[in-house]
Amino acid sequence: MFGLPDPSIWLAYLLCIGSTVLCVVYGVLNWNRDGDK
Amino acid sequence: MTYIFISLAAYALIMVLFGYIGYKKTKDSSDYLLAGKEMHPIVMALSYGATFISTSAIVGFGGAAGQFGLGLIWLTALNILVGVFIAFVVFGKKTRELGHRLGTSTMPELFARRFNSGFMQGYSGLLIFVFMPIYASAVLKGIVDYVSNYTGLSFGTVLIIVSVLTAVFVVTGGLKGIMYADAFQGSLMFAGMAFLIIYTYAMLGGVTRANEALASLPTMPGVAEQTANLVKGGFAGWTSMPSTGSPVWWNIVTTLVAGVGIGALAQPQLSVKFMTVKSNRDISRAVLSGGIFILFMTGVAFTVGALSNVAFYDATGKIAIDAAGSNDGIIPVFIKEFLPDWFGGVFLIILIAAAVSTLNALVHTMGTALGRDFLRQSLKLKAETITLTRISMLIGLLLSVVLAWLSSKLDVSMAIIAIGTSMFFGLCAATFLPTYFAALYIKRFPKKAALTSMITGSVSSLFWLMFVQEKTAGSLQICKLLFNTTSIVKDTALHTLSMVDAIIVALPLSIVAAVVAGLAFAGEGEGAKLPVTSAEQAK
Repeated sequence: MFGLPDPSIWLAYLLCIGSTVLCVVYGVLNWNRDGDK
Repeated sequence: MTYIFISLAAYALIMVLFGYIGYKKTKDSSDYLLAGKEMHPIVMALSYGATFISTSAIVGFGGAAGQFGLGLIWLTALNILVGVFIAFVVFGKKTRELGHRLGTSTMPELFARRFNSGFMQGYSGLLIFVFMPIYASAVLKGIVDYVSNYTGLSFGTVLIIVSVLTAVFVVTGGLKGIMYADAFQGSLMFAGMAFLIIYTYAMLGGVTRANEALASLPTMPGVAEQTANLVKGGFAGWTSMPSTGSPVWWNIVTTLVAGVGIGALAQPQLSVKFMTVKSNRDISRAVLSGGIFILFMTGVAFTVGALSNVAFYDATGKIAIDAAGSNDGIIPVFIKEFLPDWFGGVFLIILIAAAVSTLNALVHTMGTALGRDFLRQSLKLKAETITLTRISMLIGLLLSVVLAWLSSKLDVSMAIIAIGTSMFFGLCAATFLPTYFAALYIKRFPKKAALTSMITGSVSSLFWLMFVQEKTAGSLQICKLLFNTTSIVKDTALHTLSMVDAIIVALPLSIVAAVVAGLAFAGEGEGAKLPVTSAEQAK
């Protein structure tokens, strides 16, 4: 995939992209929740 | 050269401005220690990211990727998933609630008030103060190497200039000045790294072509001779993981990936950032920009580090580490040789920003660890917190500078920056992580269990670093002095252990100690100090 023959490397890239998307989606979904004693 | 000085002057001027704003807005010790607890979420995310990512990540680990290949991308994945998502969502929100409820301003103080133990605050404060200079010196070495390489000034001269700038800034501005400056520096870093990845791939003919060239590089004429030693250690090319169980594999998987990937969760200079925002909503919002920021920092640095082999080989017939002369030199030499001249100047500023933003936070944390946690709270010295903190900051910085100067005398083939960083991250994880989790989530976790876990984690981690793990024991020299060997398991049946990172041994031991002691001392816990959610209060 993308010129990378070893799945253990492009899987790492996929996990990077997936984790970033997770962060973005979490931020958007919780944008106005939990808005302090 | 002129534009370098112009951009340096502009950068210095903006930093002075932030230092001054921080100084003017700092009215009491809460402002100085916690930035008044009212930081904007994007400022918090950029500050967290800019503190997390230093020259160590860009130059040190980027250089490691130049030597070992793209296997380091697993660290980027862990940085985002563990270092941002889990850190913010699982640890960050509870840390903010508990920190605000107990009125704490540092991580050792959070433990001390949660478990009602002054000893715990002094012990963790002292541990942070003694060992954080190792990490700070790695960050310093990263920036000083680059600047002295670029400007021709000597290592010592640049070291003094950078440390004086850091001292002036941190002592005057407090955490407010630091966090405003971080947001500015983080934005610079983001733009610079985005340009770097686009330019590198464009220069090498696009993503697929560049990756294919890197994959086929080991079969090119002359490369096999240059990588012969690495291949003996398990190296299998820059686009593959090294062979499982080999020395290179142990190094990448346990030290570089696990040590830093997991260690990020229990970093005192990072966890204090969670206490600087006023609601959990701000932490949720910060997750969004934090994830993207880290992807562009380490993802770019590691990818470019590995790809630099193609550029160096095409131009000189040598692989990156041979062409650059050392592991830590790969990224600086790559930029100097292959990127436009103007970018070299810009990148210099970006690296200074990356180093200064991390150093500011480290010096601030060392200062609060010794000044507030150890001297003021544990030893009950009767002096102003801010004064004690300022004096302690200068002592911590001085220690780091001396260590950085000493580390410049070590063997250049060692990945000194990456090793120094993972050493501190691993020590923090083994010492603090189980107690940190228990403090936030386990209502009746006994004080004695927290202390048992902390002491087990720190002692086993230090023992492993000093006597077993060859890379660290070899450079710390204590094992050599006592036993005349670089690792006590060397040349024995257990020699594989000398390649295993301390975190792989010490963190599980620390967790086991927490569980066993937690069961043994059950019933002695003080549960009243756990954060109560508003829903629970309404019942």
